[in-house]
Amino acid sequence: MTVAADLEKSLGTGKRKWRRAWESVSVIFRSRVAVVGLSIVIFWVLVAIFAPLLAPHSPFAQDSAAINKPPNPTHPLGTDHLGRDILSRLIYGSRTILLLAPISVLCSVALGTLLGLIGGYYGGLIDEVVMRILDAIMAFPTILLYLIIISAIGPSAFNVVLAITFVGAPGIARLVRSLTLDIRVRDFVAAAKLRGDSNWRIMFVEILPNARGPLIIDAMLRVGYAIFAIGTLGFLGLGLPPPTPDWGGMINEARKYIWTNPLGVLWPAIAISSLVVGLNLFADGLREETTRYQ
Amino acid sequence: MAKYILRRIGFMLLTMLLVSIAIFLISEVAPGDVARHILGQFATPEQVELLRDQMGLDQSVVVRYLDWLVGNDWRLWRLVGKPLRYTQVGQYDSPSWYAVEPDGTLKQWRMKKGTGLVEIRFSPDGTREEVLFEDWKVAEDGSEIFWGVDTADHVVLWRKGEETQKVGPASAGRTMTEASGVEYYPLRKGLLRGDPGISLRTNKPVGPTLVRRLRNSFVLAGIAFVIIMPIALLLGILAGLKEGRAADRTISLFSLITTSVPEFASGVFLILLFAFWLKVLPGAAVFVSDVAPFMQPKLLILPVLTLTLVEVGYVTRMTRASMIEVMNAPYIRTAFLKGLPYWRIVFKHAVRNALMAPITVIMLHVNWLIGGIVVVESVFGYPGLGMYTLDSALFKDINAIEAGAMVMVALAVGTQLVADIIYTFLNPRIRYT
Repeated sequence: MTVAADLEKSLGTGKRKWRRAWESVSVIFRSRVAVVGLSIVIFWVLVAIFAPLLAPHSPFAQDSAAINKPPNPTHPLGTDHLGRDILSRLIYGSRTILLLAPISVLCSVALGTLLGLIGGYYGGLIDEVVMRILDAIMAFPTILLYLIIISAIGPSAFNVVLAITFVGAPGIARLVRSLTLDIRVRDFVAAAKLRGDSNWRIMFVEILPNARGPLIIDAMLRVGYAIFAIGTLGFLGLGLPPPTPDWGGMINEARKYIWTNPLGVLWPAIAISSLVVGLNLFADGLREETTRYQ
Repeated sequence: MAKYILRRIGFMLLTMLLVSIAIFLISEVAPGDVARHILGQFATPEQVELLRDQMGLDQSVVVRYLDWLVGNDWRLWRLVGKPLRYTQVGQYDSPSWYAVEPDGTLKQWRMKKGTGLVEIRFSPDGTREEVLFEDWKVAEDGSEIFWGVDTADHVVLWRKGEETQKVGPASAGRTMTEASGVEYYPLRKGLLRGDPGISLRTNKPVGPTLVRRLRNSFVLAGIAFVIIMPIALLLGILAGLKEGRAADRTISLFSLITTSVPEFASGVFLILLFAFWLKVLPGAAVFVSDVAPFMQPKLLILPVLTLTLVEVGYVTRMTRASMIEVMNAPYIRTAFLKGLPYWRIVFKHAVRNALMAPITVIMLHVNWLIGGIVVVESVFGYPGLGMYTLDSALFKDINAIEAGAMVMVALAVGTQLVADIIYTFLNPRIRYT
């Protein structure tokens, strides 16, 4: 009986879930701002996926005969100081940033969730120690954290992810902690305790799924920050090591030649601005619409 | 309230302590040798070893941290047997460490080529004399030794017969230091006694440079603040009053876009527009050192404009949200129903309450603003605190990083405290205990 009931229930809620999911997705289309933002983001995602098909040249191929050239038929956006095709580097650069940003957000969500759950669930001394340390990290100006971490461990893709994880985790931990404090006193957690479930099972199976809503929204917003941060790190020379096509790094390299080849800095600046603006338009439009219909 | 403020200040100091320890530890585990970094790749292993010794890098990290924090002259004077003093002798000399005799004579020792160890005496009346040093002490193993203070702020152990000048470390901008001793301990006054140490990058004291850079950053941020606030508050109030209409949509969209564009991108756009295409403004802020930036206002325009573009949107959005909330409050409806004129309601009743939230939120925003300033300074080559810290971090200049970090953390945490205090005054319903 329980199996049949479970099956029926899951099927029923499954359908309803899909409809509800569609309803929440269709909210996007009510806001023109969100649609514009989403289109920009989708554009860059498609560019990243189909980079090998779209790029006219290899992003690493150097042409010593065409250095800092303005746009021309072979190089539609011109070339940089090593004679590399800017368009191809822009296209491959979208891969770098669209891969690293979600990965670093996922990592910081994982770390932050773990710390927040432990702090919120156990409480007491553990909570106090964890939260004091996180408070100290959050009191740090973000840029200083990046500077110190990256300059200490050296610039690389892995280290950029590590730095953004480290910087982002405290905020997520605080969010998860406050949600956990609220959820852990509910009846179903008490029931799980009576059932004799382990603490880890209660944390990850009972509490975490019930905290997912705000967590997912927070994570989405953080993707925009992460892109912003990766671009800034690249610009400050703390991003990915040189040959990798990375928008912030491209601006950093090209700005020495800004007086001979102004377009070399302009294109990557437009690219990263459009992506961050697109993401924020999307998030903001979505937020406006969801709050309006609540 | 006083108790609350004291506790918060205590927390701020604790945070700074934790931060300074963390930076020390991070730089400790970081790969690469600072001495090798300073001397460049052509230095011999002996030179690197000597510089490590002179910088005290052969001591444990705990000892170095405590030296950095509280100084070490109170510990090292026992070796010399005389009190040590950090002071300036001549009008044009930079301050240095001396051993003090009971009669007030200041002493340093130095290895003179062909002569041997000489004692440099500065009498209280201002005369300076050099005499050959003869006062060697006999160590346990029979050799003749002497602990003294050299001319480059170290406590040094000299051993007779080993006074030959070794190859001293020298690199760009650095004088050859004496390398005649057997052991070196760098003398420090410690941060808590107001000395952040010597910059490893420039070989100059961090303190004066930091003060100058901080002033420059304050000028930049201050001008930006004066421009941002009226514009942003006005736009925010306007958008909040016209919620959902064309004016609001335009302002909201504009502020969202300007805040989203990263500082380095908007900086690049402005440089290209005003410096490259229109040729009306300089594209970089190159200052003669020591000249205050406000002496050359033209160089300030683009950095300030960049900062303004990024920050104005944020404040506008805060003000708008707060204004909307207040305009929907029951007491505003009451005022309307009473028949008060519209602008009177807006300015006398709504704006005052609506500005409360943004002003405190803006103070909390300093953390973010510091990041913006670092990037803007880097875009324009503006000699501010952010640039200094960035350069230091890239060079692994631990003393300068620590000092810059302490200032930034104090600013970030301090403004949060000030924001909380202001908030209690603006909103008497809140009481901290």
